[in-house]
Amino acid sequence: MPEFLLEVGTEELPALDAPVLAAALARTLEQGLKEARLPFQGTEIYWTPRRLAVLVRGLPERQEDLVEEVRGPAVVVGLDPDGNPTQAALGFLRKYGASPEDLVRKKVGEKEYLFLRVRTPGKPTGEILTELIPPAIRSLPCRKTMRWDSSGLSFLRPIRWLVCLLDGEVLPVRLGALEAGRTTRGHRFFGPGEVELASPGQYVEALRAARVVADPAERAEMIREAAARVEAEHGVKALWTEELLGIIVGSLEWPAPVLGEFPAEFLDLPAPVIAAVLHEEGKFVPFARDGEPAPVFLGFRDGKEDDRGHVRRGYERVVKARLRDARFFFENDLKRPLAERVPDLRGVVYEARLGTVWDKVQRIREICAHLSRHLWMDAAEREKLEKLLDRAAFLCKADLTTEMVKEFPELEGVMGGIYARRSGEPEEVARAIEEHLLPRTRSDELPKTVLGTALSLADKLDTVTGAIMIGEVPTGSRDPYGIRRAANALISLILRKPLVVDLFDVIDAVAEFYPRLPGGKGPGEVKAFLVERLRHILRDDHDIPHDVVEAVLAVPRGDFLGLLERARALASLRGDAALAEVAQLFERLRNITGDHEETSFDPQRFQQEEERELWRAYLRAEGHVRRALEGRDYVAALKALLPLGEPIHRYFERVFVMVEDEGIRRNRLSFLRALLSLFLEIGDLSKLTT
Amino acid sequence: MRSGERRVRTFQDLVLALHEYWRDRGCVIFEPYDVEKGAGTFNPATFFGCLGPDPWRVAYVEPSRRPTDGRYGENPIRLRLHHQYQVILKPPPPDIQDLYLGSLEHVGIDLREHDVKFSEDDWESPTLGAWGVGWQVWLDEMEITQFTYFQQMGGIDLDPVSVELTYGLERIALFLQGVESAFDLRWSEDVKYGELWHEKERQFSIYNFEKADVERIRRMFELAEAEARACLEAGLVFPAYDHTLRCSHLFNVLDARGAISVAERETYIARIRELARACAQRYLRLLEERRARVLA
Repeated sequence: MPEFLLEVGTEELPALDAPVLAAALARTLEQGLKEARLPFQGTEIYWTPRRLAVLVRGLPERQEDLVEEVRGPAVVVGLDPDGNPTQAALGFLRKYGASPEDLVRKKVGEKEYLFLRVRTPGKPTGEILTELIPPAIRSLPCRKTMRWDSSGLSFLRPIRWLVCLLDGEVLPVRLGALEAGRTTRGHRFFGPGEVELASPGQYVEALRAARVVADPAERAEMIREAAARVEAEHGVKALWTEELLGIIVGSLEWPAPVLGEFPAEFLDLPAPVIAAVLHEEGKFVPFARDGEPAPVFLGFRDGKEDDRGHVRRGYERVVKARLRDARFFFENDLKRPLAERVPDLRGVVYEARLGTVWDKVQRIREICAHLSRHLWMDAAEREKLEKLLDRAAFLCKADLTTEMVKEFPELEGVMGGIYARRSGEPEEVARAIEEHLLPRTRSDELPKTVLGTALSLADKLDTVTGAIMIGEVPTGSRDPYGIRRAANALISLILRKPLVVDLFDVIDAVAEFYPRLPGGKGPGEVKAFLVERLRHILRDDHDIPHDVVEAVLAVPRGDFLGLLERARALASLRGDAALAEVAQLFERLRNITGDHEETSFDPQRFQQEEERELWRAYLRAEGHVRRALEGRDYVAALKALLPLGEPIHRYFERVFVMVEDEGIRRNRLSFLRALLSLFLEIGDLSKLTT
Repeated sequence: MRSGERRVRTFQDLVLALHEYWRDRGCVIFEPYDVEKGAGTFNPATFFGCLGPDPWRVAYVEPSRRPTDGRYGENPIRLRLHHQYQVILKPPPPDIQDLYLGSLEHVGIDLREHDVKFSEDDWESPTLGAWGVGWQVWLDEMEITQFTYFQQMGGIDLDPVSVELTYGLERIALFLQGVESAFDLRWSEDVKYGELWHEKERQFSIYNFEKADVERIRRMFELAEAEARACLEAGLVFPAYDHTLRCSHLFNVLDARGAISVAERETYIARIRELARACAQRYLRLLEERRARVLA
């Protein structure tokens, strides 16, 4: 069966973009083939910095023929009383080159029509592909596009060649100034230059012979194996990050390891600084021995082992120079205690309307002061922790003025912690500063200490509150202040830690510290934004069914953890018959109480036994529910509510609520409203779909 | 000449070898432009050369002054003034990368013995209203060249686009001569880089960081800006551009002196960009008028 190869040859693509583009190219192609009725056995994706390729296996020679039923005139119009075609029917037949015996009668609704089965012969596969390719390439989702010639074509980097091979045949594809061929290119320095491909199937091996590993998974394996060899030989452990591996895989066509060393005298630099120097630009893999930095690093040269050590010497020279720079920054930074730098933050703009970083620090301190009331119940402990937390908040942004953080922005926070320790600040304070940017994303590592957690919460809450109060609410994909990410991290910190804190309460308490501007928003919008993020997180990260999420969020609360726990409780009982019944009755309760808000009632004025029965059940349930809520046992609370189903049911059967007598009516409504409020402690059960 | 044969022993040999290479590929060998500037891109041969439809190939050395990079002559590679070798190719030929790599071989770098990587780096100059897409070129993981496909200059979309190659001459010389400090480079067979530049680095660092009179420099900025505007009104685009360059350099001095707050910074940059934009637009109008005259 025919095979097809598409290769888009480029100048070096950014390392992390190539995989995204290659996957998109395959997807677009697969989609196009399906729409063109060209089934295939499978696709294989290959890419390097200089090429995106898709190999399609098991294609048919041509499209399947398309058979469609076409509707012609109605039978009464198309056939005369003898059953012979009229002029109208003959015209219809001529249009499709068919004869009268091809006509079929079929009913559509009440009327009968003449139909033809029309067969459109399928086109050869090559013809379809030739049309498919140029738009597929043009539609690739580039992060940024550029022009390189006057053909009007734009892409992430210049496209320099194109291979379109269907079995042995070149398809006549044109793209911008390029014409497709069968010629690919090998490695820039260690390949034979141009490589002719006889057929798609030999792509991977032909490139391998030209010193290119086209399969990114294979390159990743070569890189990991090289690191594992160093680990085994030197008794060290590689310090990988996902991004580092991605960048190395994405910038090489043939990874060849080069092991380097740096002088041990630099080992007194903090480990994160050494890692930052080596990670810079995704170049070198750092190693640790017994948890401490080891004076070796692994780089990767493209194409060939470094037999004569030229490359190793070059790498070592660069690393040494950068470590020397880092030491220079470090020693300079240490000349001033961290606290002395804090006033300099008055000169660092955070956001024009939100003031300087100094102003942000003051707001973070206010938030911390309010948070501590939520986080620490024990008064004696609170006093001690409050002081430490305030100190950490005061210092947490001071490292922004250090040379090291200016040079390595990813060390923000980490350096603050190191410098705090060196300035003689308490260890708890240093740790809190070190941890206060964690988690950076929903899935990132969390702060370990209680102070770091509080500080992180305060910092993120300020970021979100500030941006929304000045009207910078993210829309669509636009989120210039990174508010969504900050809010996600904040919520994920609360849910994963987990933390009991009423965010709404804190937001109300600190709202006065933010500017009120025309076009700005209020605390209500901040809360609504956070609830909206919570909605996504409950669904995506905690697998809470959609209807359960809606049920608990219908009654917004600042205690996000409580909302998650309520949702879990509801989800665990979802499908339970008693719950389903209660959910239905809930709806009736709500409809009948309408906008009646009064909840105090007088049991003395109940007239019917069903009222008193429900009242007794309510009293029993209420006690259980309140106790369960206090203990944050939402399953128990929910279970305590379920026995109310039966008495409510009887009540609705026997008791007529909307009686003439206003006193009795209002008393009944107030009672039902109180009952409803008890249910609302869990959520709006009417949102449940089962 | 095959790689390896050439003996580029000195800094000046390096410049001469690049001149030779790019001359043979149709470049005008231009001179540094004698107004202070932060990068070779600011040279009128690049700024104006990239504008308009006509093909243009030029190469030149540009002493580039970046006051904030000064280290009193105490850092082996961070310099207040470094030398860029600048090449503009408009339109860029399809084999531009190979052409560039050929220049490295021509100055004696054996690409099969070293590690060359093109690593994503999109370039932008807010003051010139210019941006482009390209790479930093790394030689054994040391940055030696900025390789950019300009997309805009003076706020104007370029058609055709130009490729700018900016070689860091000190970096390449360090590599070729196998020394670790720029001041130890051989400028010629008899004269060291340090003899020519060390005292200048020291003095200018003192001046830029400690002594430059902020009030006077601010006034000089205002004067240069006013002069640029006056020139633009008189249709004198090249003198206007010279004064724009002065504004840019004076801003850099104020910046190094720590005299510019973050808030002010944006405003200063916007003022210079406005001038650069106006120069670019005025220049294009000039080209059109000239073309109209030729056709008439």
